[in-house]
Amino acid sequence: MRIQSTIEGLLRKDALEISSPRERRLFIRISREKLRMTIKELTKLEGFHHLSTITAVDIGAEIELIYHLSHKDALISLRTRVPKDEPTAPTIVDLIPGATLYEREVHDLLGVRFSGNTDLSPLLLPDQWPEDVHPLRKEWSLQRITERMREK
Amino acid sequence: MSTIRIPFGPQHPALEEPINFIFEVEQERVVNVTPRLGYIHRGIEKLAENRTYLQNVYLVERICGICSFAHAACYVQAVEELLGVEVSDRARFIRTIIGEMERIQNHFLWLGLTAKEMGFETLFMYAWRDREKMLEVLELISGKRVNYGVNTIGGVRSDISTAMLEDIGDILHQLQDRAKYYKSVCTKDQTILKRTLGVGILRPRDAVKLCAVGPTLRASGITRDVRSDYPYAAYDEVPLKVVIYKGCDVASRILARIDEILVSVGIIGYALENLPSGPIRVKVPTRVPEGEAISLVEAPRGEDLHYLRSDGSEKPARLKVRAPTLANLPALCKMLIDVNIADIPVVIAGIDPCIACAERVMMIDVESKKRRTWSGEKLRRYAIEWYRKR
Repeated sequence: MRIQSTIEGLLRKDALEISSPRERRLFIRISREKLRMTIKELTKLEGFHHLSTITAVDIGAEIELIYHLSHKDALISLRTRVPKDEPTAPTIVDLIPGATLYEREVHDLLGVRFSGNTDLSPLLLPDQWPEDVHPLRKEWSLQRITERMREK
Repeated sequence: MSTIRIPFGPQHPALEEPINFIFEVEQERVVNVTPRLGYIHRGIEKLAENRTYLQNVYLVERICGICSFAHAACYVQAVEELLGVEVSDRARFIRTIIGEMERIQNHFLWLGLTAKEMGFETLFMYAWRDREKMLEVLELISGKRVNYGVNTIGGVRSDISTAMLEDIGDILHQLQDRAKYYKSVCTKDQTILKRTLGVGILRPRDAVKLCAVGPTLRASGITRDVRSDYPYAAYDEVPLKVVIYKGCDVASRILARIDEILVSVGIIGYALENLPSGPIRVKVPTRVPEGEAISLVEAPRGEDLHYLRSDGSEKPARLKVRAPTLANLPALCKMLIDVNIADIPVVIAGIDPCIACAERVMMIDVESKKRRTWSGEKLRRYAIEWYRKR
C-alpha cells in the first residue's frame, strides 16, 4: 500500500507501531504528546477525507483512544493511550471541527478530559448523572451501575 | 436587538432519535444552535459487551428501525473479519440487494417526511404509498417489514428464489417510474422550489471540515461514498454511480436522494440478474480469536462505522458504533445558522435524522421570561402560514 510507505516516511520518528492487518486498514500507535502534531500532519495528506469518529477502549490501567481518520486509500486508525488516574488528552477540535461531538461522547462515557475543549457538557448522559460513574469503563459493570443508581 | 432562546424538542413518541436543540433567534433569524442528545441513549455499546457475538447481531439490528440492515451488515462484517471467514458470493450479492432495497425505502420515507415538513401533504402520502411497495418486497424475501433479520455471522438467512424475481422486477419498475416522476415534481413545483432552493446552505468547505457524511455531504458537491471508497459486499462488481449535487441546499439534498433511488434500482436489477448460485451461509468457528476490526457500510443516511475488539472470550471486549446522524449533527447546526424559524423543520429534515418533527417546542423570551409552549404541529402551521403571507 502506497499510503503505508508515505506514512512510515512521515512518522518515522514518532510512530511506536504501524501495522496493516488488511487492505485499506492502517493502525498507528503514537504517544499522547505527539497526538496533535501527528493529526495535523495526517490531515495535510492529499486524499484525506474526514475524521470518522473517536473510539475509546478501557484496556485496564489505561484508556486507549483511537482516532479513525478516513483517507481515500485507507482508514487510518491513530491510537494513543492515557493513564486512568490522569485521563487527559489534548483536544483536536481546532484542527478538525467535526471532532467536537466525538470528544464529548468519550468524555461522557469513559471520563477522558480533553484539555482545550471548552464545552465538555453532557451530550449523551443525563444532566444529573454522577460525575464519577463512567459507564463504559470495565470496573462499572451493569450491576454496579444499577446499584449505584438505586442508592441515590 | 434582543436574542430569544427557543428550545426545540426533545421528543415525539412515534419517532426514534428524539433530540433537543436550543435555538437563539433574533427576530426571524437563527443566530446560534446548541444540540443536546441522550433522550434515548440505551447504552447499547455497554450491553454488547454483555452479550455473545451472535446475540449482538440482533441487538445492533435494533439500533435503528430504518437502517437496521446497515448496522447488522456492518457488525457481521467485523466479526467475519476477526474470524477470518469469507462469505459466499451469493451471500455478498444478497447483502447488496437488501442494502439497496433498504436505501430505497428509506429515501421514499424521507421524501415523504420532508414534503410533510413543507406542508405538501399530498406528496407525503404518495411517497409513503410507494415506500410500502418496497416493504412488501422486503417482507416477501425476509418475512419482515422492518428489522429483517437477514444477516448472520457467515452469510445471510434469507434466500431469493427465482419465483420471487418477477414480482420484485415489477415493483422495482414501478418505483423507478415513481422516482422519475418525483424528480420532475421536485424540479418544477413552485411550492417545493420556494421552500428548498437556497435554504439550509452547507458549503463544501464546511461540510468537509465538520466531517459530514452520506447524501448530506454529496449534496454539497463532495464525491464520497463508502460503497465506492471502501467497497464491501458486492459493490465492486455492480454498476455504482456516486450521485452528487452542487446546490448545497435542501433542494439538492432532495434531488441527490431521488437520484440515489434510481441508482439503487439499477444495482438491484443487475445483482438479481447476475446472482451467483451456491450456499447463502457458511459454517463459522464458534470462538472469536483475539483482535480488532473496523467495518464500514454506506447506510441510507451515510457512513456507518463499527469498531469491534475481541479478547478471545465469547463476548466482545468493545463494540463502538458511530451512526451517520451523529456525524451529520455539526453540519446540521451549521446549516441552521441564518435560516428563518419557519425553515427550521425542513432544514432538520434535510439531513434525514431519525427525528423529523418535535412534539413540544417551547419559546422563552429571555427578557420577559415569558414561556410559550408550541407543539411541533403548531410550529409547522406557523411555518406554512408565514410563507403564505410572504
